[in-house]
Amino acid sequence: MDKLVGAIWKLLRSNWLRILLGCASLAVFIAVWWLYSAYLHAEWPFSGRTPSSTAEYLPNPLQVLSAFFDSFAHRDPVSHLFMTSHIYASMKRIFFGFVLAFALAVPVGLLMGRSRNAEAFGKPIVEIFRPIPPLAWVPIFLIALKLFWGPIAIVFLGIFFPILLNVTFGAKSVDPVLLDAAKTLGAKKSHQFFKVVLPFTLPYLMTGVKVGLGIGWMCIVAAEMLGAVGGGVGYYIYNMAFQPAYFDRMYAGMLVIGLLSVLTTGVAGVIERRLYRWMGMK
Amino acid sequence: MDGDEVGSSIEITGLSKVFAHDRLEVLALDGFELQVRPGEFVCLLGPSGCGKTTVLRIVAGLEPKSGGSVTVHGREVVDAGSDRGMVFQEFALFPWRTVRGNIEFGLEVKGVPPEKRAETSRRLIELVGLKKFEDAHPVQLSGGMKQRVGIARALANDPEVLLMDEPFGALDAQTRNLMQKELLRIWSATGKTILFVTHSVDEAVFLADRIVVMTARPGKVKEVIEVGLPRPRDRTSGEFIAVRGRVLAELDEEFEKARAREISPD
Repeated sequence: MDKLVGAIWKLLRSNWLRILLGCASLAVFIAVWWLYSAYLHAEWPFSGRTPSSTAEYLPNPLQVLSAFFDSFAHRDPVSHLFMTSHIYASMKRIFFGFVLAFALAVPVGLLMGRSRNAEAFGKPIVEIFRPIPPLAWVPIFLIALKLFWGPIAIVFLGIFFPILLNVTFGAKSVDPVLLDAAKTLGAKKSHQFFKVVLPFTLPYLMTGVKVGLGIGWMCIVAAEMLGAVGGGVGYYIYNMAFQPAYFDRMYAGMLVIGLLSVLTTGVAGVIERRLYRWMGMK
Repeated sequence: MDGDEVGSSIEITGLSKVFAHDRLEVLALDGFELQVRPGEFVCLLGPSGCGKTTVLRIVAGLEPKSGGSVTVHGREVVDAGSDRGMVFQEFALFPWRTVRGNIEFGLEVKGVPPEKRAETSRRLIELVGLKKFEDAHPVQLSGGMKQRVGIARALANDPEVLLMDEPFGALDAQTRNLMQKELLRIWSATGKTILFVTHSVDEAVFLADRIVVMTARPGKVKEVIEVGLPRPRDRTSGEFIAVRGRVLAELDEEFEKARAREISPD
């Protein structure tokens, strides 16, 4: 009996349990989805009912999964592209948007974090523009910046603010005693910046990058909605939404975005951990 | 400028400091005077809020003074500089740098070539007893070890004076006693002038050549006590206890004054 209790305790505290719980949550989600879809379609175990008129809105998980694999094997019926091309196109937008957002948000964030005047100047603009959803900019960006830069600009907006806010906060939280120490060791202003402020801000920057990438993916459908050069996963989803027969593909496109976001955030996470180890912080 | 033979390492005359909080002005230091001889170990002792840390920060050049004069080796202090090393109560180590990286910081910003930096840090790591930890990061070190890094880092620039702001205040009693002995060993090995802020009477009597007891705010010198006991000092000896009693009596008076003022504010 004691052994059993001990074993249960051990399991409860192990990592395996956490992994198991993660799988369980996915399994529960898929089961509920499947049951509801079966209910709408009047399939087993709901065979007796008449099918719902909205049944076509929700294909079952297996149909979505097969549409997912099919999208890599065959060109899609609307834009006649493979899913790999759509992924490449979206990744390129995320990449360009990210690079631009990073290049602008980091220096501006550092400046606003370290200079009260810069903050006083920048804060009103930031606070007014930050809550405006990137979606609101879609029409004008696509008209004014056209199909190449328009989508990138929308993704840029999504990534820019999380990085800016985190970098500003990080630069602001630099422990003053570390700057005092640097000064008494003979550090000039530039040394204080590059050897104290910058390394101190790095972990905050990484948080901003992770959050920003997630929001970047959230903007991709909006960015590619009204047209995109060379396709895009968002473009694919939007086009598949016009015909109920393609709804399984539409859901497959959503799955692709989810997986891509997990991938980019995962890469950022690996870089972050490496950085922490290299910097000696856990 | 005084010659080095006659002169002091640190010379503070008529030092005053006013802190302005909103519209309220607080006189923290008023006519503080102190001369520290080269190679001397002086402790600043006083009730909390008496401005002893402020004196240290002004000498370090981290805080501007409101009046008076502060010179270190004949040069007026205007801002922080590597001729005055400082050791902080919070250790203030750069968490992203290794022990060696922390110690070499000052040399790095001075542009000393890597081989020479490595040589200096190796020597200092040995001096403070951190061999085998040179590649550890601060998170991996105990409080005592962290402060050994803090001391080595301040010494790396070969400063004329070492300013220590309650450096052992965050350590447990055992480590604290050990670090006091270690500091005396390092002091006699390097011959630096040390200005050491503490609120521990025991620590001051154990370490100092002279103890400067400060008044309650506004801080000035109340009494300078020459310890005059040979080292290593025995905390349980009669002489030690006698000096301790004298310092304590001076300090108690100021505590009473500070307390009386708190009870009936003027």
